[in-house]
Amino acid sequence: MNAMMGRIYAVELRDELRAIVREPASLFFGIIMPVGLFIMFNLLYGHQVATYGLSAGTAMVATFGTYGVITVASLQPGIGIASNRDIGWLRMKQVSAVPIGISLAAKATAALLYGIGVLVVMGIAADAFGTLQASPLALLRVVVVLLLGSIPFTLFSVAVGFRFRTNAATAVLNAFLFPLSILSGLWIPIQFLPKVIGEIAKFLPTYHLAQLGLAQLGDGTAMIHVLALLITTVLAAGIAVMSYRHARI
Amino acid sequence: MGTTEAVLVAEGLRYRYGETVALDGVDLRVDPGECVALLGPNGAGKSTLVSIAVGLLVPQHGSVRILGGDPRRAATRRLLGVAQQTLGFPNTLNVNELVTGAAIRGGLRAAAAGPIMAELGLTDLAKRRVAKLSGGQKQRVQLAMALVTEPKLLVLDEPTAGLDTPARRHFWQILARRREQGTAVLVTTHLIEESAAVADRVVVLDRGLVLADAPPQELVSRLPDRTVTVQTGLGRDELAAMPGVLSVTQDHDLIKIQTRSPEDLLRVLLDRDPALSDLRVEDAGLEEAVVALTNGAEVTA
Repeated sequence: MNAMMGRIYAVELRDELRAIVREPASLFFGIIMPVGLFIMFNLLYGHQVATYGLSAGTAMVATFGTYGVITVASLQPGIGIASNRDIGWLRMKQVSAVPIGISLAAKATAALLYGIGVLVVMGIAADAFGTLQASPLALLRVVVVLLLGSIPFTLFSVAVGFRFRTNAATAVLNAFLFPLSILSGLWIPIQFLPKVIGEIAKFLPTYHLAQLGLAQLGDGTAMIHVLALLITTVLAAGIAVMSYRHARI
Repeated sequence: MGTTEAVLVAEGLRYRYGETVALDGVDLRVDPGECVALLGPNGAGKSTLVSIAVGLLVPQHGSVRILGGDPRRAATRRLLGVAQQTLGFPNTLNVNELVTGAAIRGGLRAAAAGPIMAELGLTDLAKRRVAKLSGGQKQRVQLAMALVTEPKLLVLDEPTAGLDTPARRHFWQILARRREQGTAVLVTTHLIEESAAVADRVVVLDRGLVLADAPPQELVSRLPDRTVTVQTGLGRDELAAMPGVLSVTQDHDLIKIQTRSPEDLLRVLLDRDPALSDLRVEDAGLEEAVVALTNGAEVTA
């Protein structure tokens, strides 16, 4: 990336972060709701024992962390793209010779930074409640895994953003997000849900991402989850490319 | 201007949306410092032509060059300044952020935004979010974003819509200064008489074809029509039946009659209504010329 592209990327990222901070709806869905649910469940069940011998409060860092990160990764880029298309801002950038890849990279980076913010707040809250039993290195691994694992959700979000108008994109993304979260045991541990949901969960990328996060805190296996997420990433990338090629910008 | 390198050269442009022909072999040339107005009815092909000129659409036949470069290339697009009604900006940003952002995206430093914001009277609005701007202020922001990179070609779509008369005058003064420095302007507007006042050439499009490409005065002079304005007690139907009358319209108390033979009309008018007053005979304007070219279709941007 040359210096000029670097400056354009910086201004794009700056605008994305401003949009997050200055848009109350974004803050509600992106940070208040996931962190609020995390705190509520932590206060209620944080000291109980969950999977891999972890305290529930520690496991929730991975499960609610997954929910928080995929909420941001799923909603932020897609709704942003749809909104930018609706108002003609994406056309404006196209006319201004801003490469679309720079705009998308800035949106993805802003979502990642937002995701880091959500995870940090959850970590601080869990620590404050005394329910967090994990080393800093394990927590760092969880953060890295969840952020990398959010890539397919960002790609799917981009696909929706290029296909639908703002309101429809918001509805479509939420229609995927909430069932995925519940069926993957992100809110209520999978072992407390009916068995059939546990069977369905194995086919959901959110489940594999949460399990991968939990594996960083305990002794769980990781390879099958990594493979599932890689396949999801390839599929989401294909859908995103097709959606962009057919988009009216 | 024939030996000067043209800023915009379009040759043989053809474009269709399915069965609908938007452009059918359009040629267009815009020279440095020149202001060219694109006029024509809805669906004439103006938006398609502009979209191709700024690199948003690829012509299916023909070619377009901006100072010899392909407008689809980023380096060529940086020679353009574009203000279109279909281009908007997010409400989460303020005026200063938008204009400095446009400077940086155009390869300049953020400091380049200051002078153009001052010139357009936006300095006091620098910290105001777009959501809180009036329509005219948004127009000025868009113009500032188009001008901040000192483009070689300005492409403007309805640039003065929403501006009051002083702001409109100020806008054309700013553009005149840019044109003196060599900036070319391609403008689409529904204010035809405004085009007549500011454009060096008018290009009339209809159904994808260039019907005329000439200075406004030349287009008007081709039209033999005259407009007779009068205050009279005679009815519109009676007036419409008079010799050589093409159309009759009412403007408050005054009647405007378009005719090809004003002398014959005046003889009959004076004969039937000796009390008529406020009589004026004028050449037809650019609007009448364009309407005549496009067979009476309503002309807009």
